[in-house]
Amino acid sequence: MSRLVLEHVEKRYGTVPVVKDVSLTIEEGEFVSLLGPSGCGKTTILRMVAGLVEPSAGSIRIGEKDVTNLPPNKRQIGLVFQSYALFPHLTVFENVAFGLRRQGESGNGFSARVREALALVRLADYGERYPRQLSGGQQQRVAMARAIAPRPRVLLFDEPLSNLDAKLRDEMQIELKRLQAELAITTLFVTHDQSEALSLSDRVCVMHDGIIQQYAPPEDIYHRPATAFVASFIGKPNRLSGTVAGNGADGRIDCGQGLTIRAAAVAARAGSAVDVFIRQEAIRLSTTPEAADNALAGTVAMRSFSGAHVQYVVRLPNGTELVVETPSSGPASDLAPGSAIHLLVSAADVFALPAAGRAS
Amino acid sequence: MNEQKPGFAVSSFALLVIAFLQVPVIVVVLAGFSETSYLTIPPQGLTLRWFGEVLTDPTYLSAIRISLILAVSATLASMVLGVAAAYAIHKKMLPGSDAITSFLMAPLVVPSVVVGVALLQYFTLIGWRGSFLALILAHTIITVPYIVRSVLASLSGIDPSLEEAARVLGANGPSAFRLVTLPLIKPGLVAGALFAFVTSMENVPVTIFLASARQTTLPILIFSSVEMGVDPSVAAVSTLLIVATAVVLLLAERWAGFHKFV
Repeated sequence: MSRLVLEHVEKRYGTVPVVKDVSLTIEEGEFVSLLGPSGCGKTTILRMVAGLVEPSAGSIRIGEKDVTNLPPNKRQIGLVFQSYALFPHLTVFENVAFGLRRQGESGNGFSARVREALALVRLADYGERYPRQLSGGQQQRVAMARAIAPRPRVLLFDEPLSNLDAKLRDEMQIELKRLQAELAITTLFVTHDQSEALSLSDRVCVMHDGIIQQYAPPEDIYHRPATAFVASFIGKPNRLSGTVAGNGADGRIDCGQGLTIRAAAVAARAGSAVDVFIRQEAIRLSTTPEAADNALAGTVAMRSFSGAHVQYVVRLPNGTELVVETPSSGPASDLAPGSAIHLLVSAADVFALPAAGRAS
Repeated sequence: MNEQKPGFAVSSFALLVIAFLQVPVIVVVLAGFSETSYLTIPPQGLTLRWFGEVLTDPTYLSAIRISLILAVSATLASMVLGVAAAYAIHKKMLPGSDAITSFLMAPLVVPSVVVGVALLQYFTLIGWRGSFLALILAHTIITVPYIVRSVLASLSGIDPSLEEAARVLGANGPSAFRLVTLPLIKPGLVAGALFAFVTSMENVPVTIFLASARQTTLPILIFSSVEMGVDPSVAAVSTLLIVATAVVLLLAERWAGFHKFV
């Protein structure tokens, strides 16, 4: 258990940069997610920490030790692969014992530690089985037991839940959080799934194009996105473009054709072009006019039901369309296309950020 | 797969083809039991005399011994070289992996006689002609493609993360290979080795150019016996060779799922 520090780490393949000058500190026992779309460099960072990929520049420290030039077997790291990578020719017990055996462990204490690791993932009775005799979720848990058994200083996860079906994924997410809290191992978790990253992590590091976009606690990432990329990547945002009409506390964005939207904290200069992000779930619907920072009248253009939520496409008088998500049990859950409706948005839920680094 | 029962006509035709292919084998086996002192079909009488003669004849015994030593040595050498080559090709450790693969497979494609002549010239040039080591080398060259091919097939079925997992868990490169990759390619390696062994055991075209008189292998002895006028002992020793080969291949199929690699 140690803090993990990356300083000015870069990776280029030929002349193509994949990771550009990344500096990142993960405190001892902290759970950090690297979140981003595929190709953003997050897996490359994880593989550099594991020693499976050599950085082109920069240094990596675990605790006080510089591990930049150490081979993977000297780094004392636990890694859970996307494919689990369980050894198919070894039993579950031997899979979990693999790391301990490499440390030269044997005897009674050794078996006890293997069994302890298996018990932690609730597979105490499965030691004699082979990986192919286990379900996907069980294989996943063996992979975790194998990674934690040698008591690594840092635990790495490479999209470990992406091969599981949705229901199992939720269960494993809870299990993982419980396990990490129990062991308090410094953890780096790579994922492209924002809900996974937000719910598991102490801090989330959002990446795009090999660059860190924002490194902050989940609440900040969600409520106070630092860049247009983060605002567009997290949640389900509507995006409008406009120009800043007023900044600071008097945040106003002119979106054209008479539509002005109030935003709580606009840092951009007055007159500069910005992207405006309003999350689908941050818009409240009302059939009667109500006072709000932003109260917009519109017409329902489309309705779609998806179980817990209903989504509407609402057309504003100037032709702009916004997608609105509302609980399917709520008051405005059954509006027919053509109905007049009022959209209420708090200024704090409107993000106006310089128009660059779009996710899509 | 679409499991459709073949019709009667197709089945019987297939059976006929199989029977046709087995006729030479059946003829040889039957001839080995004949009481006559010349080869004849159908055999006249029934005796095990020729088998006894083969198994007591020092010429045959020496040929069997030389063949076995040669085949075992060549197979072992091929295993070491073939696994190393296949691993390097699979991991793309060298530029031009495809070219190297084709090059290693060449002995399968070039007619054996050509390989034999070429090796004879080469070994004469470097003064190794007639040495047993040269013969082992030659057999290694013709058997290594089988190992490379079957091991490559095994390697391509292995998740590349497995070796990485072993390394992260504290194994250095060589132990990761020994503890994870090697056990996983074992079926392919065993299949390739058995095929290499059988190929070496039965090789005539290359051996005949390189073997000195004191290194007569079993197939060479059979070959020359047939030229010199035959008695059923040739058929008897051939039968023994057929049975031994069949047993080896059956074991290979049982143990390693041989058909997946050939």
